[in-house]
Amino acid sequence: MIITRRALGGLALAPAAAAAQPSAPRHGGTITVAQCSANRFVASPQTARHPYFTVDLTTRIPYNALVWVDRQMRLQPELATAWAPATADQSVWDVMLRPGVRFHDGSPLRPEDVVASFELHRRRNFASGQIQKIEAMADGRVRFTLDAGNSEFPYVLAEYQNMIMPAAPLETIGNTGIGTGPFRFASTDPNRVAVYERNPAYWREGYPYLDRIELHNREGQQETALAGLRAGQFDMVMTIDPRSVRGLQRDADLVVDSGGGGHHYVIQLPKHPGSPFEDKRVRQALALSVDREAIVRLVYGEGNGWIGNDSHLVAADPNFLPLPRLPRAEAVARARTLLAAAGHPNGLNLGTLYWSPQSPEVGRYFQVLQETAREAGLTLALEQRPADGYVQFRTGDNDLSKGSFHRFAMTAVGPRNPGISLFRMRGEFVESGHWRGPEQDTYMALYAEAMREGDAARRRDIFHRMQRLLHEEVPALLPGGTMTFSVRRRHVQGFEFHPQIWSVRFDEVWRG
Amino acid sequence: MIYLILRRGALSLATLFLLASFIFFATEVLPGDALDVSLSADELAMMPPEVLARRKAELGLDRPILERYLSFLGGLLTFDLGRTIITRAAVADIVTMPLRNSLALAGVTLLLALPVALAIAMAAAHAKGRVLDNAVSGAAIIGYSIPEFVTGLLLIAVFAVWWPLFPATVTASTDDPLGVLLAAAPLAIATTIIGSIAYLGRILRVGLIEVMASDFVERLHLSGIPRWRILWLHALPAAMIPGLSAAALYAAALVSGVVVVELVFAYPGIGAELVRAVTRREVHVVQAIALAAAICVVLFNLVADLSIAALDPRTRR
Repeated sequence: MIITRRALGGLALAPAAAAAQPSAPRHGGTITVAQCSANRFVASPQTARHPYFTVDLTTRIPYNALVWVDRQMRLQPELATAWAPATADQSVWDVMLRPGVRFHDGSPLRPEDVVASFELHRRRNFASGQIQKIEAMADGRVRFTLDAGNSEFPYVLAEYQNMIMPAAPLETIGNTGIGTGPFRFASTDPNRVAVYERNPAYWREGYPYLDRIELHNREGQQETALAGLRAGQFDMVMTIDPRSVRGLQRDADLVVDSGGGGHHYVIQLPKHPGSPFEDKRVRQALALSVDREAIVRLVYGEGNGWIGNDSHLVAADPNFLPLPRLPRAEAVARARTLLAAAGHPNGLNLGTLYWSPQSPEVGRYFQVLQETAREAGLTLALEQRPADGYVQFRTGDNDLSKGSFHRFAMTAVGPRNPGISLFRMRGEFVESGHWRGPEQDTYMALYAEAMREGDAARRRDIFHRMQRLLHEEVPALLPGGTMTFSVRRRHVQGFEFHPQIWSVRFDEVWRG
Repeated sequence: MIYLILRRGALSLATLFLLASFIFFATEVLPGDALDVSLSADELAMMPPEVLARRKAELGLDRPILERYLSFLGGLLTFDLGRTIITRAAVADIVTMPLRNSLALAGVTLLLALPVALAIAMAAAHAKGRVLDNAVSGAAIIGYSIPEFVTGLLLIAVFAVWWPLFPATVTASTDDPLGVLLAAAPLAIATTIIGSIAYLGRILRVGLIEVMASDFVERLHLSGIPRWRILWLHALPAAMIPGLSAAALYAAALVSGVVVVELVFAYPGIGAELVRAVTRREVHVVQAIALAAAICVVLFNLVADLSIAALDPRTRR
């Protein structure tokens, strides 16, 4: 069975969720959580409480952003109660702050705090560079002026680093760990442990239920984390390998939750002179030859993965446009026809595809890809590269005039809104293999049109047109991905995992 | 003896200087720099080249390598290990507690493993060629051959999951008191002890058997001295001399070499910190940890050499 978009956007894994017997929510208690995803930034004793450095993807325990993205990838108010473009071209946005919110130190949330926070974010966060100016308005509003119109700008306000902190100089803002979140820092051991205690003045009345959360970083140590779970040391392990799911589901003491569509892999197809991927027919043949269903079935297991559509959108995204389905034999035959038309009737060697072990299943993922592409006459070698320095190796110089080309290589990408996800296929970005030409111009023109478009339905139509272009042009290959999973002991209740791991909340979690 | 101490001390300092230089150049020639590795592909792609160049300049990554080498040596002389490249935190703050924890793990391991290894070695030497000796030798080979991560996982499966007597993973914090930390890590300690007993037991057994077969022991036998007395009072001190060198090297290796055990049990030691630093290309942290390991090797060897010299006057020449 292949997971459908509807299932991905739905609730947690049905068997596990149904097995849980929820009790009535109650206050009090501690839960101990292990987090297995890689921590991209290393913290120091000075920065361990900063939203950019605290144990990965758990910033919403001590902090809040202005906006939250829910499990269906819809915008929801957090510290903002409303937002709207102030100009017709959507290059200026006004955000109304929630009244009565207080930071952990008792000070009230003011527009000046938002301004100070975004003065940092617009310099440091990759998605916030478009912000030209932030202004505190007299009536509790904050005004954001952008470098161009962007109808999806509120998603930037929900990005995982863009938390709201008390105003302070750029050099020190955030280091205190003071936020507005449901829990406040009790202690930290950089990169290892963060202990949080209940924020009694939390703006969501009656929440959180728990008194305390102990969060242990176990990146790259899933087996240790699961042993700790089974030994009763941990109540929950977040971001587990999909291959572990079936075994864990057999344990009556445990509940496995799925957050829906999580990460997938982009395979960049270089289009520099001499590359086989200059020829669109070769790219199309590769896209047809890869057995995506086999990848999902063999790598992730039944029900744990989803088929990609060669865009950065994940299947859980409501704007996702699936690839037309073809019977396997027909897809292989079409791929062979395309290769023959491109002058390779006896098949083609694509060279070496480089990969890095960014998650445990990656090696098997690319072995399946390699084997299924062979059926259409496309051969490729696989070479593993260490994670250390992989970005530089994969991206090369990005300056084709210097001859230091980017590689035929993969990297992992996470789920985001179309405004951010589809922008990743722009010609300047390495993940598109520096796609150029009139089709790329059309794609970017559509993107600009979508960003200016205020109507969601019309924007969705434009996104579909963009994805059809990608289906036809195949600037990069994104065969499919996996859902996010966590596992908890049965007494942890009220928890919901999330497609965006960084949007997980613990407000409504209680000990049953 | 004083001349020997001075000579060995000077040699150790020279060795440390060479090691420090080697560590600096070995870490500086790694491809990529800390800033490149710390940024995501998104950030690297979106960051204008002039901004990237400015940030490298701010971090001193654009300075000539010789200038950075001299600065590194100067820092060592003043016990300034520098700051991390990305977060500008003091390296000493980052490595001190993990180093303390690794030293504690190694110390407890040696304290518990040495007497046990010695007892096993003496029993095996006393019963050379008999069932007990064969059993001890076989067990030692098995214990030494099994990788520590296998031993660790086995102990976790048996004593934490199936029979939940001990914690499976160390949840204590890096700067918890040593008593709290070690109490939270019984299986990690057991894992290092098993390998240590096997290794040290084999070394000491072989040394004891060699000494027991020597001429002076034969003469003691002929003098009518009981075998146990020969073993305890005469053979053991002689056998300790080669054992000391082996134990010193082993102790130094324990401090920096328990990476696998630290990772299996999430023990907050220097090995785990080294892995993290290498991954993040935090060159100054890598240099500090490598230097700490080198100091341990040189220091423990110096102590072993001086102890041997004290025990055996022939080695002072």
